[in-house]
This record gives sequence, structure tokens and C-alpha cells, in this order.
Amino acid sequence: MAIYLLLAAGLFMGWSLGTNDAANAFGTAVATRVVKYRTAVTIIAVLILAGAFLQGSGNIDKLAELATSNKVMAGQGEIDAALQDSSLMETLRLKSALKAFIIFACAGLTVFIMSYLKFPVSANQSITGAIIGWGLFHANYSDPEVLAENLPQIGKFASTWILNPLGAGIISFLLVFLFNRFLADRITTLHSYDKFVKIGYLASGAFASYSIGVNSSASVTALYYDANGANLLTNARLTAVIGGIAIAVGVLTFSKRVMMTVGSSIAEISQTDGFLVIIAMAITVLLMEKLMHIPVSTSQAVVGAVIGAGLTKGVKKVNFGVFKRIAIAWVSSPTVAGLLTYLVALATQAYFK
Amino acid sequence: MIAKKKNNRVQDLFTDQIKDVETCLIQFESFLLATTTKGTAFETMQALSGAVAQAEATADESLRRMIDSLAGTSLLPSTREELIEIATSCDRIANKCEHAANMIVFQRFRFPESYAQDVMKIVSITREQFAILKKSVLQLFMNFSELLKDHKILDDIRAQESQVDVIEQNLYKQIFQLDMGLAERTQIAKMVEYLCDISDIIENIADKIQIMLITRKA
Repeated sequence: MAIYLLLAAGLFMGWSLGTNDAANAFGTAVATRVVKYRTAVTIIAVLILAGAFLQGSGNIDKLAELATSNKVMAGQGEIDAALQDSSLMETLRLKSALKAFIIFACAGLTVFIMSYLKFPVSANQSITGAIIGWGLFHANYSDPEVLAENLPQIGKFASTWILNPLGAGIISFLLVFLFNRFLADRITTLHSYDKFVKIGYLASGAFASYSIGVNSSASVTALYYDANGANLLTNARLTAVIGGIAIAVGVLTFSKRVMMTVGSSIAEISQTDGFLVIIAMAITVLLMEKLMHIPVSTSQAVVGAVIGAGLTKGVKKVNFGVFKRIAIAWVSSPTVAGLLTYLVALATQAYFK
Repeated sequence: MIAKKKNNRVQDLFTDQIKDVETCLIQFESFLLATTTKGTAFETMQALSGAVAQAEATADESLRRMIDSLAGTSLLPSTREELIEIATSCDRIANKCEHAANMIVFQRFRFPESYAQDVMKIVSITREQFAILKKSVLQLFMNFSELLKDHKILDDIRAQESQVDVIEQNLYKQIFQLDMGLAERTQIAKMVEYLCDISDIIENIADKIQIMLITRKA
């Protein structure tokens, strides 16, 4: 049973992701008091769990693939050998769980340190960075074969840095443009405007919460999963749901401060643009999951969507300064997590080699 | 259905309050006409001042009812705050009328005859200004997107405030050239200031409405 304590790092990662990502779903609505904080966190928690349960396990395999080629998770050869000899299975299980613990602990520590230093940070990118950091030590990247196996996957992850905000920007631009063109003039009374804004924020926040459940629930527990029993968890759906619960607990316990901060900084856009941006973010995150099977950063998507919405009013209206901030997070989160994990891999090499 | 009823009630009560403030303004105009008319008895002025005070009390009551009605509507908290701000600013107009009428009666003040025309002109422009404001407030509830597209109505309010400003400045110049004691000149100037303040308040309300519209602009 004690082995299950190793889940703590993943759960901590999920918790911190919950405290941060909730702001992307309901930050503006709560900061502008369109939706009450209690209502918002209840919707987020329920829909993150729904997303985790219904579609959360979808990208477990892809993350596991990256983790396997970076020697975080057991390879097929090791698993086959363990299936033949049950005494090997227990050792393999413990080692896999320990590696997952290290990866999540390093990614979590990165998120904690960078948040403490008030640097923008992406939880999903930190996990990816930590996996690659482990691989840089154990998977021997100087070997052309290893590099050839990993490069496409790393490239795929890196491509989301562009595709994710770009996609969100395009979708947001279209949504805001279409809204202004066909719907804005139809809202004529103060009451109907307020009702529209309220329903819009509730619906978009709920949709975004669901997309976070689909996108992120598995990424905080995927490294503990192996269908053959070579790790702590063997059921993909349960793995996603445990991740979803950890994120939901983060939302319920500690999201208010981040929500108010993020919400106020995005509140410069109009109220209707505000929820269209959230819808664009949610659509993009779900599309990335469907098309590329990769958990992406919701913060990146939000930034892209805010810029897309701004572009409908002209290039001059866009505050490209936000790019600088998020670019720091794109580069620094995986880099710091990768370096940290590399150092831990170095320190623990005797046990894992 | 219940929410719709509550929303309509807010709109009705808001309209009632604006009408009550307008009534107060009309009473104030009658009062001023009496004070600038030669030979008006002091008792008449007192009675007219009482009517202004009565109208102000009615406007106060309407304001309270309107604020109470906001609870339980589907309006957003920020909208409620903005509406309360506009309503309390409108109430300040009634307060100002009552205060000016009281001061005139308490001090047994009379505008010099030569200023009667300008004083009545200020009040007349202010009434026109308020009539436009009333229209824009109704539009705010009924069709704010129209008001957003064409805010000429709000620009008209500002243009009228500028007219009042010009009259006010000219009056000050004349007042301080009068051959009388500084205390008396200051007293007349203060009375002019009371009247012109109303126009400023209306302009400020127009600004608040415009801010409300701009923050809702898609």
C-alpha cells in the first residue's frame, strides 16, 4: 500500500494545475462578479471530473509514448520479461512509480518556484520538460537512433507552442467577428445584454472546465499508468479520473487568488469578448487533443485568443506585450523542469541504471 | 417570468424617479420665476419653496424604491452599481434645487432685476438638458445599442452645459463689477453657482451613461 504514496507528486501537480487553470475558465467572470466564486468553482470541479471521466484517458498513450522513449516508463521488453517472471514485476512497478514521482515532483517544484518568483508558468509544459530532462540523462540522446525516435515527438510538442495560440487566435477572431457582425446589434436592452453576458460566461466557463478535464486530467497521472500492471494504475479511465479529482481539489481549495489576478488582467477586453475568448480557448484545447493527442497549455490558448479578439478591432488595439510574458513561460517552464530533472536523474543514477 | 417582471419593475421605478426629479426641477423653475418677478410676496416664495422640498422628498422616496427593486433582478452587479450611481446623481439634482430654494428663502434673497433674464435662461437650458437626459436613460433600458451607435443625444447635453457655462462666466464678470459690498456680490455669485451646478450634474450623468455604453461596446 505504501507504494501508492508515490502518487502524491502527481496529485500535487494536479492540485497546482487546478489552482492555476481554473482562472482560465472563470477568472474574468469571477473578477467582474458576473458569476459568484462559489458557483464558478462548483461548475469547474464537476465539469473537470466529467471531462476526465468521459474523454480524459484519450491522450494517456501519447504522453506515455514520450515517457517510454525517455526511459521514464518501462519499455515493452522490460514489461514482457516481468510478465514472465512475477518477481520482476514488483521491482518494475516500484521503479516506474518512483520515476513518475521524480518527474512530477520536479515539474511541480518548477511550477512552485516560478510561481513564487512571480514568473509565468505552464504546468503541462513543465511535465513535458521534466520527461525530456530525464531522457537527456537516461535515454542517451547522443545516440542517433534515440534522437530519431524522440525528435518527432519533441517536435510535435514544440509545434503546439505555435499551433495552440495560433489556433485559439484564429478561432477567437472568427467568433468575435461573427458576433459583432450578426449578433451584437440584436441585443438591444440592458436586461438582455446582462442576461446574455451571464449565460455566456456560465456556458463558456463550463465548456472550458470540461476541456481542461479532457486535456489535463491524464497528464498529471499518466506516468503512473500501465495497462500490463508495470506501474501503479492499470485502468486508463481511473487514471484520468484520479487526475481530475486532484485538479478539482486544487480548484476548490486554492484558486480564488489566481482567479482574481488573472481575471482582472484580462478584463480589459469587453464583457462579450471575454467569454468568446474562453470558448475559443476551450475549442482549441479540445481540437488539439482530438487532432494531436497532446495535452496543451490552456494559458497559451487564452493568450492567443485574447490577441485574436483584439485583432478584430485593428492591429493597433492589440497589446503584444502579453506575448513577452507568455514567451517566457513557454521557454522557461520546460527548461527549468528539464534541468531540475536532469540533476535528479544524475543524483539517482545508481538506483535506476 | 418572475425575473422579467422584476426587470420591468426596475425600469418603471427608474423612470418614475427621473420623472419625480423632473417635477422638482419644474417646481424650482416656478420658484425662480417668482423670485425674479418684481413684487412677488415672500409668502408666495415660501410656498413655492415648500413645493420644491415636497417634490425633492418624493424623488428621494422613488430613489429608495428603485434601489430596493434591484435585488433579485437578472442585472449584473456592475450594472446595478452603475444604475444606482446614475439614480443617486439624478437625486442630487433634486437636492440641489431644494438647497438653492432654501438658501434663497432663508436669506430673503432676490436676484437683481437685470439678471432675471439670464437666470431664467440658465434654468430653461437646464430643463431642456434634463429632458434629453430622461430620453437617453429610457433608451439605455430599451435600446442601448442605438444610443451606442448614435450618441449625439449625449453630445447635445454637453453642448447645452457649455451654453450654461458661457452665461455663468458673463454673469460672474458683471456681478464682480457691481457697485456693492463684496459680501453681497459673493452672495449673488453663490446663488448663480447653485443654479449652474445642476447643469454640471446633468453633464456628469451623461458621461456616466456614455461610460456604461462604451464598456458594453463589442
